[in-house]
Amino acid sequence: MTLEVGARLPDAEFIEMGANGPETVTLSDLSKDRRIVLFALPGAFTSTCTAAHLPSFMRTEADFRDKGVQDIFCLSVNDPFVMGAWAESTGASKSGIRMICDPGAIFTKAVEMDFTVPSIGLYNRSNRYAVVIDDGEIIAANIDEPNVCDVSTGEKLLEQL
Amino acid sequence: MIEVGQRMPEAALWRVGPNGPGRKPLKEYLTEKRVVLFGVPGAFTPTCDGAHLPSFIQAADAFRSKGVDHILCVAVNDAHVMFRWSEISGAEKAGIEMLADSDGALARGLGLVYNNPTAGMFGRSRRFAMLIDHCTVTEFNLDEVGQYQASTADVLLGQMP
Repeated sequence: MTLEVGARLPDAEFIEMGANGPETVTLSDLSKDRRIVLFALPGAFTSTCTAAHLPSFMRTEADFRDKGVQDIFCLSVNDPFVMGAWAESTGASKSGIRMICDPGAIFTKAVEMDFTVPSIGLYNRSNRYAVVIDDGEIIAANIDEPNVCDVSTGEKLLEQL
Repeated sequence: MIEVGQRMPEAALWRVGPNGPGRKPLKEYLTEKRVVLFGVPGAFTPTCDGAHLPSFIQAADAFRSKGVDHILCVAVNDAHVMFRWSEISGAEKAGIEMLADSDGALARGLGLVYNNPTAGMFGRSRRFAMLIDHCTVTEFNLDEVGQYQASTADVLLGQMP
């Protein structure tokens, strides 16, 4: 399926690092009767994701909450241990952004956002995008071209609300 | 599965260099060298981070005094993750080279792949340590999944005259 306004996302299982280790969460549980932001990026600890994309949502988190967003999720095709370490080292966990993992890239492939670049060792990763989901339906969708971090930033997504 | 006396399989390993991540054949690390290679399920996972890697950091000088040219740590992670893990853990300072088996080719070539879906781990490598002399495996210590016993630095060190 294509990520576009009006579309309903397929249900998916993600893994989130909980207090007692990795936990499975479903997109339907995360989004049912709620307004959430989901932004996806190629990988924890990669340069643009660490220096620009993730910080843009840390800066705008309070503004999203003012617009009725109940949770902000950062999604990557990484495992929960790596995402947990990244959240800690960037301060994202303290800011309230929840890190969720699509380790088998199942959701990422279902929304046609997967890419592979063997020369840099990235396989089945996610392109950069950000969506606002209201009770399971996409109400804003900003998708970046490969190697660009522009419309999927927190600031640009905020303009859509 | 790989055995003592066999030659190492072909694989490319990724590492972050001055111009970003790049890959290099494993053979280039092994040719005409004596090499310690240990494999872990994943960067930033509790046992790998809290016990396995530290055991090799502590023993790095002892290995070098026994004529070891390279100490390599591999995991099925990407090069960005391995790079940050090497900085945070102190492995880089200890002279341990942290290499990314990003496509899992080494883990598959060794016959050591396992999955742990509830923890978000797919196509990962079982825990092992080996001594490799001129591309041929001369010691091979493999742990059962979920265990950490056979593959410590001390066990391998004790096998070296």
